[in-house]
Amino acid sequence: MPLLSSSSSSSSSPFTLSSSSSSSSFHILRLQFPSRSLLLSPPLPPPRSSSLLRSTPKPPPPPLLRIAAAAMASSDSGVAGAGNADPRIPRIASSIRVIPNFPKPGVMFQDITTLLLDHKAFKDAIDMFVERYRDKGITVVAGIEARGFIFGGPIALAIGAKFVPMRKPNKLPGEVISEEYSLEYGTDRMEMHVGAVEPEDRALIIDDLIATGGTLCAAIRLLERVGADVVECACVIELPELKGREKLGDRPLFVLVEAA
Amino acid sequence: MATSEDEKQEAKKDPRIEGIAASIRVVPNFPKPGIMFQDITTLLLDPKAFKNTVDLFVERYTGKDISVVAGIEARGFIFGPPIALAIGAKFIPLRKPRKLPGEVISEEYVLEYGTDCLEMHVGAVKPGERALVVDDLVATGGTLCAAINLLERAGAEVVECACVIELPELKGRERLNGKPLYILVESR
Repeated sequence: MPLLSSSSSSSSSPFTLSSSSSSSSFHILRLQFPSRSLLLSPPLPPPRSSSLLRSTPKPPPPPLLRIAAAAMASSDSGVAGAGNADPRIPRIASSIRVIPNFPKPGVMFQDITTLLLDHKAFKDAIDMFVERYRDKGITVVAGIEARGFIFGGPIALAIGAKFVPMRKPNKLPGEVISEEYSLEYGTDRMEMHVGAVEPEDRALIIDDLIATGGTLCAAIRLLERVGADVVECACVIELPELKGREKLGDRPLFVLVEAA
Repeated sequence: MATSEDEKQEAKKDPRIEGIAASIRVVPNFPKPGIMFQDITTLLLDPKAFKNTVDLFVERYTGKDISVVAGIEARGFIFGPPIALAIGAKFIPLRKPRKLPGEVISEEYVLEYGTDCLEMHVGAVKPGERALVVDDLVATGGTLCAAINLLERAGAEVVECACVIELPELKGRERLNGKPLYILVESR
């Protein structure tokens, strides 16, 4: 029973090609490098408040065919470090399943549950984050409910950081601070325990995927409200066409895989 | 079950248990008056306690030919994956309705008032696989029971259920279809 994304149908593959569109090699794989070195980076400038305020709702994601066409068109835009891409990436990328029309028509859902069924791919994904962050003095890993819990927990354990769950409303039992953020229609709220994070904590935010960046922005705001330094946001998958990266302002974003 | 009692005693003797138990915060009257909520988020803020928690489970399940760790949404997603990674198993999230994007099987279970549903992806588990179910806490056992049913319906063998905390007075242990339960901390 095929659980993996359809390897025989390159036209439905969400991943861009680095060069020729040979049907057998449809993998991604662009490893995003941050714009600055984490270890030596100067303090991040204070947030541009306008960029993190609740923004006007983003337009819905483009329909399926345009996504595929855009992917092909951008395939020659220069894939950073393609020749030096980490050899673990192809297996990670191909273990992700794409489910069309979930949760609603037109959305190509990036399903990481199939990655979790592939022990090597899951371990490799965690290892790649751990290698990046282990010597960066990160004291807090904030994982966004619920798929951020799956990746954030192992990373926190491996680097010796606290794990802080960032949750939907009314789940956390103690005193919380709360941040509202925009959805395509309406708003949602994210909560964090009071006292979990302290000023001077150096924080990493983890989620499985970044789309519009709204959820990550809410997490950044919560952490910064208590005085923490958000060092980076890290996701397994980015949907670059939704421009979430821009919404994070100056905060760096690291992803393993891009999906068109 | 005698075996579980012996094992409960073993867990209690491990010197790491005291620190784990002490790191759990009790929040009164959440989610409603009269309930003393066992809050594991404070355990997660203590890297040593979190690591010791995972290590205790990993030591127990390494080398037992367990190929599946099923974690119950959402706090089971915090403890399950590190265990799965360490013992070489796959991780399967068991979720509330309509969260999993693919084809699912669904198991209803009883709440204090009304019912809820737990779902698992079709094809995640293959018949004959040996599975562990992980959650942060066992109370009445209803959720664990639904998880066991899902895995067994898919043909897996549930070897054990593992939780950080048990509320023994709610007798969840008796509701697990005869499956053993391993816990680190009892809360009365």
